[in-house]
Amino acid sequence: MDSALIPEGVNRCPIWKFLLAIAITSVVLLWGVYAMLLIYMKGLNQTNMNNAYGFALWIWADLAVIALGGGAFFTGLLRYIFGLDELKNIINYAVLIGFICYSSALLILGIDVGQPLRGWFIFWHANVHSMLTEVAFCLTCYFMVLTIEYIPLVLENRQIDRVPFFHNLSHNMHEIMAVFAATGAFLSFFHQGSLGGVSGVLFGRPFGFREHVLVWPWTFFLFTWSAAACGPCFTILITKITEAVSKKRLVKDNVYDLLAKIAGWMLTGYVIAKIIDTIYWATTTVPSMGFHFMQFYSNNALYGPWILITEVIICGALPALILINPKSRQNPKLLVIAVTLAAVGVSLNRWVMVLQVLAAPVLTFQEWVLYYPSWQEVATTILPVAYGVIMILISFRYMPIFPQEKELNPIEPPLSTAAVEETEEAPAEAAETAAEPELKPAEA
Amino acid sequence: MKEANKHSEMQKFGMVIDLDKCTGCGACMVACMAENNVPFQEDETDPLLSVKWMRVYKMTNGKPYPETDICYLPRPCQHCEGQHEGHSPCVSVCPATATDYDMATGIVSQIYTRCFGCRYCMAACPYHVRLFNWYDPIWPPGMEKMLNPDISVRMRGIVEKCSFCFHRYQLAKDQAYVEGRREIEEHEYQTACTQACPADAIVFGDLNNPSHLVHQLAQPDLKHHGKPKNPKAFRLLERLGTNPKIYYMSSKKWVRLAGDNYTREELNKKRT
Amino acid sequence: MKIARRSFLSFLIGGAAGTALTPLPWKLTDDLSIWSQNWPWTPVPPKGAANQVNSVCSLCPGGCGITVRKIDERAVKIEGMDGYPGNDGSLCTLCLAGLQLLYGPSRVQAPMKRVGKRGEGRWQKISWEQALEEVTAKLSDLRAADAPETLVALLGSDRGTVPQLFNRFLTAYGSPNFFRTPSIQDTYELALFLMHGTRSMASFDIENSDFVLSFGSGMIDGWGSSVRMFKAKSKLRDANATVCQIETRLSNTAAKSDKWVSINPGTEAALALGLAHVIIKEARYNQDFITNYTNGFNKFQQLVLEQYSPSNVTMVTGIDPETITSLARSFASARHPLAICGRGQGATPGSLNEFIAVHALNALVGNINQKGGIWAMPEPDYIEWPDVPMDAVAANGMQKGRMDGAGSQNFPHSRYLLNRLPDMIHSGEATIGALMVIGSNPVHTLPDTPKVQTALDKIPYIVSLSSFMDETTQMADIILPNHTNFERYQDVPAPEGLPQPIIGLSQPIVEPQFNTRHAGDIIIQLAQSLGGNVAEALAWGDYETCLQETLGDKWDMLSEQGFWVDESFNIGAWGEAFETDSGKFEFTNAAINRLPLFNPINLDGSSSEYPLVLLPYDSMRISAGHIGNPAFLMKTIEDTVLKGNSGFVEINPQTAASLGLAQGAKAIISTPTGSAEVRVHHFDGIMPGVIAMPRGLGRTAFDKYVAHKGINVNGLIGAVEDPASGLDAAWGTRASLTKA
Ligand SMILES: Nc1nc2c(c(=O)[nH]1)N[C@H]1C(S)=C(S)[C@@H](COP(=O)(O)OP(=O)(O)OC[C@H]3O[C@@H](n4cnc5c(=O)[nH]c(N)nc54)[C@H](O)[C@@H]3O)O[C@H]1N2
Ligand code: SF4
Ligand code: SF4
Ligand code: SF4
Ligand code: SF4
Ligand code: SF4
Repeated sequence: MDSALIPEGVNRCPIWKFLLAIAITSVVLLWGVYAMLLIYMKGLNQTNMNNAYGFALWIWADLAVIALGGGAFFTGLLRYIFGLDELKNIINYAVLIGFICYSSALLILGIDVGQPLRGWFIFWHANVHSMLTEVAFCLTCYFMVLTIEYIPLVLENRQIDRVPFFHNLSHNMHEIMAVFAATGAFLSFFHQGSLGGVSGVLFGRPFGFREHVLVWPWTFFLFTWSAAACGPCFTILITKITEAVSKKRLVKDNVYDLLAKIAGWMLTGYVIAKIIDTIYWATTTVPSMGFHFMQFYSNNALYGPWILITEVIICGALPALILINPKSRQNPKLLVIAVTLAAVGVSLNRWVMVLQVLAAPVLTFQEWVLYYPSWQEVATTILPVAYGVIMILISFRYMPIFPQEKELNPIEPPLSTAAVEETEEAPAEAAETAAEPELKPAEA
Repeated sequence: MKEANKHSEMQKFGMVIDLDKCTGCGACMVACMAENNVPFQEDETDPLLSVKWMRVYKMTNGKPYPETDICYLPRPCQHCEGQHEGHSPCVSVCPATATDYDMATGIVSQIYTRCFGCRYCMAACPYHVRLFNWYDPIWPPGMEKMLNPDISVRMRGIVEKCSFCFHRYQLAKDQAYVEGRREIEEHEYQTACTQACPADAIVFGDLNNPSHLVHQLAQPDLKHHGKPKNPKAFRLLERLGTNPKIYYMSSKKWVRLAGDNYTREELNKKRT
Repeated sequence: MKIARRSFLSFLIGGAAGTALTPLPWKLTDDLSIWSQNWPWTPVPPKGAANQVNSVCSLCPGGCGITVRKIDERAVKIEGMDGYPGNDGSLCTLCLAGLQLLYGPSRVQAPMKRVGKRGEGRWQKISWEQALEEVTAKLSDLRAADAPETLVALLGSDRGTVPQLFNRFLTAYGSPNFFRTPSIQDTYELALFLMHGTRSMASFDIENSDFVLSFGSGMIDGWGSSVRMFKAKSKLRDANATVCQIETRLSNTAAKSDKWVSINPGTEAALALGLAHVIIKEARYNQDFITNYTNGFNKFQQLVLEQYSPSNVTMVTGIDPETITSLARSFASARHPLAICGRGQGATPGSLNEFIAVHALNALVGNINQKGGIWAMPEPDYIEWPDVPMDAVAANGMQKGRMDGAGSQNFPHSRYLLNRLPDMIHSGEATIGALMVIGSNPVHTLPDTPKVQTALDKIPYIVSLSSFMDETTQMADIILPNHTNFERYQDVPAPEGLPQPIIGLSQPIVEPQFNTRHAGDIIIQLAQSLGGNVAEALAWGDYETCLQETLGDKWDMLSEQGFWVDESFNIGAWGEAFETDSGKFEFTNAAINRLPLFNPINLDGSSSEYPLVLLPYDSMRISAGHIGNPAFLMKTIEDTVLKGNSGFVEINPQTAASLGLAQGAKAIISTPTGSAEVRVHHFDGIMPGVIAMPRGLGRTAFDKYVAHKGINVNGLIGAVEDPASGLDAAWGTRASLTKA
């Protein structure tokens, strides 16, 4: 039915299956949209945030999703700037995942602010000293870059590509992609860092505060570093999941191996830096403010030393070791475990740097404040996940995302069948027009 | 004009709150609400959702009966000066410049119509001064007659906080101006909470002005960001470098120690 | 076809790009943000001309001077009046939130008549003419049936022209049954009457004392004229005076005193006598005063020396002998020592013996009518109205005596014993034909509120003159709403406890907001329509005329500066202060044949069934009187006192542990009077075995901000009749607490 839109030389599941998957995901998406509308109409009282938790699930989701989307800029950097050509076989997907992550982040931010209609004040009345200003500018610019990086993919759809204008456009865009990749890498470096700076500059919050290098706190660098290390891991993870769901191999092992190796070394470096940072913070920064660092890991029901161990050792050092060791990272199971751990680790780090910062008492006569999200917050946080799944479903089905897919999954029907397919397609003007509306969601 | 500016640059409004006198009665809280059109909800028992510019904390010394002691600590905005003047924890982080440090008075302002509710400032303020309007402000029919026209009512979705009753400063300045003066007297600008306090526990004035009582009580060391020289005075979380302009006084050591965090070794040293 | 589609696409893209370049989207964005800054449902206070009005607050007996800031005709802020005696520029929480009462939803907006069942809350608005006609008819009937004495009036106070108009009305009508809301004032007045022989008001020159010994009085929890007491307490601190608080629970007053002495609940009188023991034994008393101006000292001396040695007192009070001795020495050696009593805000009268014992301490150190001491102030006497013209019905009714037994043989010197009425109504001893209530809210404030409510249910006709829909008004048959104190003229004499003869003038700060009338006018109009001697007794054209006439030449000063002070006043010297038979201060009182004694007040219930003791406590953040908390006050209540609709009971962590009650846990509190679900709050400052709950919560009326939140502790504590005075002497009750 929609075969005219499907890239040449690849197999896709029957359309009913595809539509069913879209429909099921859409239900989740609509639930999220309903929650979002509730929040817009009634305000943030629909959340479980409060005056102690000005930042909560959403800001965590934002930070996490941006870290996980870091695969886009880092893979781009490796591919276009450092010329690691093999990575072209996964860069498209990395860009798509990045695009989803960043658009999700912007969407969540749009829900999160109390006065979304005034959201643009952050640009118009910008305070250059604020980390959030830096984040807002870089994030928006980088999202544009990601859009520009994503557009050629859309244009490569078989039918769109037929239009000469789009064909040329996409060709030309590919030519200059290195420029955008470089811009993207530069922007990412800053906004990932600024996100780290968000809590790092809070000198009123000893749990988050870090000493500064020039104008940036340590967390600035740690965030960029961890995103560069864990973003690619997340790209690998999602690709592996896509392979599992589509029941075919999409990327060759040497590509995985290269990306995993680099991610592994990045993670190793990061974990070492993080450990140094933690020790310095625990032994110098925090005591100078009158605290013992264990105060931040005791007297409450949730935040204990397990967090540090999980974040740094189980989800940091362990995957790093797996990934830098060729033998273990070439074991597909171990690889998946490692990249999953890395993704969890970076998400946990973002949780801690947002929520634990606020949960820990600073005034001596106050106590820990714990929080759990309302269903509206959960729904609006799952909303982008549903949106991401739909984006992936559509993009995977209609766009040539994986250059190696054809080679890895040769279609071996008798030649005659192939001919039939071609003849079927030739007079398919009508089908083309009919298919057009379905294209729109992907374009939008 | 320049002359006038030069002089006003030297003002630094602040408070000294005598915790020995404070009774925890709450009059300061109510006076502030009445003065500043603070909204109220049907259920106000969740302190994490309640908007109170002035909040009176209750501290205990943690000892068993009958060695127990309690102390109340009224907490308006601390109007932090920061490590260098103007670098308040909250002002520096606001992405939209919706909160500002006024160099002429040392007052940290909040511009309600500018704030877009990102709540970064709330995360930055260690004193939990900043409060978000989770709900629309609703006065029962007829009760909106009591609204003070000197302060706008804040809409849902933005952050608000104690302003040191800045409108009172403006009114006092206007009055002085009309009378051909450029300076205001100590008694002409007093905050609503100071005025209401039945125990006279709050003193308000210009910390830079040696003739003002706040200066005499706190004895701010201007070379060290206003650190109090009065041994009975302390500031909350002095060690964080927020350099607040609210000074607390207490004759009780446990109260003074509760004003900041100390490691166990430091405490042992201080207690002996 | 192809071309068409292509140009369509180009058109779309071009159009989008073009629109983005026009000012339209930017203008819309801007407009939307401006709209978000001017949401029509967010009120905008109108501007106008600023002006101010001085008045006096009468929301409680404190009588503080206020200055109200207005914008045109709107009152926007209540502030303390600078220079007003007592509160000088400051205010308490309740009055600061007063405009929420004035403009609030709990106002009764017009005369109303009950249409549903009693207490159901269904009302019909009626005209003033109809309302007054109906009440007149009812009152005429009672009189016609020759039962005028069954008309009862209950007011918040008995001082000033409005209460006295009601009193006068009652007399002319033929009823002696005028009541005022009980408080420690009753016991203090009685103690002073018995020991000094004068009808006077206990006042305290606290500011000039250098050692205040407080037997549980909440000096900064609302005792006396609260704002004045706060100021005084701070002045004492500035002057390096000593304040010693004797109390079972670490109240705010205890915490802010120089010394807190924890004491077994209800044993204050024993301590006072123990201190007297030390003072007498060590001859630290004021020889001059004792020798020349007192009577019965020897008997008193004998009693305390024999029975109240520190070791004996220790067994009762739990205070060690050294503390007792040193306390007695510090007290006696101070230059201006002052002993005060009346627990918390002084809402329950308390035991006469205790007041006498504490007052005996003041006598021992000779600090009566002296600087920094206790002053027996003459009652205000500016109301000089002609004798009440009586007719036969009135004379007959007045003959019958008060239904509560005050002034009878049992309680010859007590004036009002409201606490005795509920039982008497239930037992049939007292029959009430009609009840008028104004400025009082017995259904909420009297002990054992359920019993009060059922007693009120038996009264056939209840007229409320309240400005607010309070708990008692909810039970009324007809409401004749008074102006609030912010809308009316009224004299407010003598702030409680101030050692200065003062009259304050309450003035309307705004026009009446609703269809209400001044209570003074209402009672005059009722008198007029009843006719005869009653009309003659209240022959003023209206209340304002009556007020101006009564105040005479004080009026000018009053309306000018808001208060009048008798500058020439001097408190009576020892030689002329006492009007007892001996003309001296009496340690023993022949009239009731009683020495100051420690007579423990026996609480109801057995200690096995009710192993704990429940104490009520007072807080400035909860209005416990006839008026409920306005919304702003509700915002000040800590979440360890009220959370959602659950009220908390304070309990020592040790006791809580033995009962298995974690912080915040739900529990059932039971007392011989009632039971309720509460949550527990662990507090180290309360004695193990004792629990405490705040007064003033658990309202069932007013507005949604206060109603149905927490528990009314008065519903858990019954009255205990003091055998000597008939007043309510309960200071707590036995209780049990079990996991819910
Ligand atoms: N009835 C009437 N209404 C009018 C007009 C009219 O002619 N008649 N004219 C209209 C026009 S054209 C205009 S422009 C507007 C003007 O209206 P507004 O802008 O309200 O003008 P003003 O009342 O002159 O000044 C506003 C306030 O600014 C304060 N102020 C003065 N200097 C300073 C300063 O340096 N800093 C700060 N923060 N405050 C300062 C003043 O004390 C005053 O309270 O009114 C409009 N409304
Ligand atoms: S009004 Fe004064 S005494 Fe009362 S709580 Fe506030 S500072 Fe303390
Ligand atoms: S107390 Fe908080 S809100 Fe006030 S200036 Fe300091 S950081 Fe800002
Ligand atoms: S919430 Fe408002 S004031 Fe606070 S940082 Fe955000 S924009 Fe600024
Ligand atoms: S200074 Fe003004 S705004 Fe601040 S707490 Fe006091 S009354 Fe409120
Ligand atoms: S103490 Fe009483 S009289 Fe004084 S302001 Fe408060 S409510 Fe009014």
